[in-house]
Amino acid sequence: MRTLVRPTSLAEARAALLDSAGPVAIAGAGTAATWAGALGPVETELSTTGLSGVLTHNPGDMTVSVRAGTPLRELQAAVREHGQHVSFDAARVEEGATVGGLLATGDAGPSALVHGSLRDLVIGTTTLLSDGAVVRSGGHVIKNVAGFDISKLLHGSYGTLGLLVEVVLRLHPVPAAVGTVAVECDLPEAARLAGELLASQLEPTAVEWLSSGRLLVRIDSTEEALPARLDRVVALVGGTPDPVSGDRRPGDDRRSRGWEEHAALTRGTPGEAVLRIGVKPSLLPGLLARLPVGTVTAGLGTGVATVSVPVGEVAAAHAAVHAAGGTSVLRTRPVSGTAVPAWGPPPSAVAVLRAVKQKFDPDSRFGPGRFDPWEIS
Amino acid sequence: MPLDPIARAAITAALPPDEVVDDPVRTRAYECDGLTGYRVRPEMVLIPRDAAGVARAVAACHRNGVPFVARGAGTGLSGGALPVADGVVISVARLNRVLEVDVENRRAVVEPGVTNLEITAAVARHGLYFAPDPSSQQVCTIGGNVAENSGGAHCLKYGFTTNHVYSCEVVLPDGSLVTLGGDTGEQQGPDLRGVFLGSEGTLGITVSVTVKLLRTPETVRTLLADFPSVAAAGDVVSDIVAAGIVPAAVEMMDTLAIEAAEEAVHAGYTVGTPAALVVELDGPIEQCDSEFAQVKEICDRHGCTRLHIAGSPEERAAIWRGRKAAFAAVGRISPDYFVQDGVVPRTRLAEVLQRIAEMGEEAGLRVANVFHAGDGNLHPLVLYSAAKGETERAEHLSGRIAELCVELGGSLSGEHGIGMDKACSMPTMFGEEDLAVMQRVREAFDPTGISNPGKVLPTPRLCGERPGRYRAHPLEEAGVIERL
Repeated sequence: MRTLVRPTSLAEARAALLDSAGPVAIAGAGTAATWAGALGPVETELSTTGLSGVLTHNPGDMTVSVRAGTPLRELQAAVREHGQHVSFDAARVEEGATVGGLLATGDAGPSALVHGSLRDLVIGTTTLLSDGAVVRSGGHVIKNVAGFDISKLLHGSYGTLGLLVEVVLRLHPVPAAVGTVAVECDLPEAARLAGELLASQLEPTAVEWLSSGRLLVRIDSTEEALPARLDRVVALVGGTPDPVSGDRRPGDDRRSRGWEEHAALTRGTPGEAVLRIGVKPSLLPGLLARLPVGTVTAGLGTGVATVSVPVGEVAAAHAAVHAAGGTSVLRTRPVSGTAVPAWGPPPSAVAVLRAVKQKFDPDSRFGPGRFDPWEIS
Repeated sequence: MPLDPIARAAITAALPPDEVVDDPVRTRAYECDGLTGYRVRPEMVLIPRDAAGVARAVAACHRNGVPFVARGAGTGLSGGALPVADGVVISVARLNRVLEVDVENRRAVVEPGVTNLEITAAVARHGLYFAPDPSSQQVCTIGGNVAENSGGAHCLKYGFTTNHVYSCEVVLPDGSLVTLGGDTGEQQGPDLRGVFLGSEGTLGITVSVTVKLLRTPETVRTLLADFPSVAAAGDVVSDIVAAGIVPAAVEMMDTLAIEAAEEAVHAGYTVGTPAALVVELDGPIEQCDSEFAQVKEICDRHGCTRLHIAGSPEERAAIWRGRKAAFAAVGRISPDYFVQDGVVPRTRLAEVLQRIAEMGEEAGLRVANVFHAGDGNLHPLVLYSAAKGETERAEHLSGRIAELCVELGGSLSGEHGIGMDKACSMPTMFGEEDLAVMQRVREAFDPTGISNPGKVLPTPRLCGERPGRYRAHPLEEAGVIERL
């Protein structure tokens, strides 16, 4: 019997945790419920959706603090009025993913090429541990080296170390103008063009190949400079400016159709498993050519790709990525059927991961199974 | 307490004789880092040649319960490399090779003793560079940068060392060798690389680092602008930010800092101006030009009294020479000085400077200010004369300034680290429970507490039982618990 609790404050969350026993699943908006290792049996589901809302936004300092259950798109809408945003564009944001969930799953979108993931944008967190301890790390300033950066440990922890309660993020100005160039080409050609782009000084914000046969190159710019910058991209790699979808408000994301297709492709092919893989960018095209992939989005500058593969091929895919020195994690598993391995071989520091888990969650209550088969707890 | 002879013999046996220094004359060279006011002579100094040697040295320390302190170039300003009296120093000075330059993937693998600037020197012919640029970049090592999560003048736009490291090979405090991080931004579980970066040598020793390299920008535009007040210069920074521009760097100096720098290097700053701003933009030409026009217009609007635009790489270098010389140059206008490092939310710069001026006046000491105005990171320089017996007063004032930054919503340190210098001030910024959880992180990596003990986290032995400034617990703020 699973008890669902939906605290609306840190105090309620702490009480719920201390009043319960046994394993706990932390859930945000549920947009990544199938990611990583399958959750083992839990007695309590702790929903963060009641921990919502912007706490402080300091436009002059370009920082914002929010409660962790706040959907990022709500936060974006609130700060965009001031011409600011979190420079983060994972596909799930549009589905209502929460700030805490995006951080805990280590998600990132195409602009990670320049802005990194939330680990690079988070400047402070408040976290509740399973024994009731509350830890604040970082602060409200972007430059800060005081104390251990515990926010980083929560990034990619998949709900196994603690409950993120508050998150402080660094903001960036919304670019005055955004343009995308789309080039019809196959992956080897895209990799060649990406190599030229990244060796140039044109400073693309994102360079992604889509399995529909297109390379997308995004430029964030001032209004005045955008036409010339796009012209230079076209002169280097060919292609045409990608039209912007008409249904978006001015000042909104202004995503081109190409990026909407990109977001759709990251969800994979029905019936197949979705894997997120990361490998040195130069190895990515060759690796993808060896894998039985269906849909693909491939960050040719970041080396990060989201691909679909047949369920029966997941274990072999993990092995192939590992052999290339990369990392892989399962994102979508078929609804039923045989167990699909979520992770490849464990990293060399798995003993440290176990030790951190033991210190933060001594009774192993949070997120059972998320890192199976590594036996972290 | 001297080192136990059995432990000494075991550690000595772990390395070839020429990698072990225990002559008291030679070990004295390691008794302090850039924070020279604190000195402790180590029992031994180990200078291994490679990662395996570091691992053997650490393993020997671990087996014998001997504390160790890792050391790069010893340029740190918070006593992070201060030796432990009954322990050893492990220097990475001989691990100074650039192991691999991977142009295609824009990264390099370097040993920890490579200096920050040597990385860029090794890759510059490929049009690449390593972005973090601490002022000491000619001598400070990448191992130290990793330990301190170093920033620099350009970190407003480009971020800190943590944003430019893919992975580190680390010797853990038990002597085992692991890799933290990977080949991309994708993680396999919690970001251990992220928590290791900036842990100031308390979680292990880096033996190689894979750094991210950036393509050099197409153009760089730098201007030096004088203003009738620090407040006016601060308003310029606010308006640049409000215009949606992220400059590569925005530096501010006050009149005392300018006077000192100009006397030292004659870089073309205006002596007597109340405040000067250095603003640098970089990127594709069209982008840079359109933003630079806006910045000039903003400077004019706030009563800029002189605007100097660097017309050549030499002029740009001169502007930066003046800025980077400011610390050392203060020695020309004062016999002694303390360098402080604190952060305030940028919008509170004018307020913090006013308070610093008042506190300086009260203490009867001059304070020169140099700061990274874009991110609110201050470097107040407290001028004093040891000969006149002002040391203690100056030290107290400097410490108060760091704590003032915390009061104003900022941080005890933006880039110099906590080390041993500020460990006892940590309770002004963090609550007991925050520090206790940080201690859990430390124990996960270093259960026996031998890796740079006494740094970062306050200990009763070091700080006494003196409680810090009162700070509400999050649950207290939420009304759940009360403090009577």
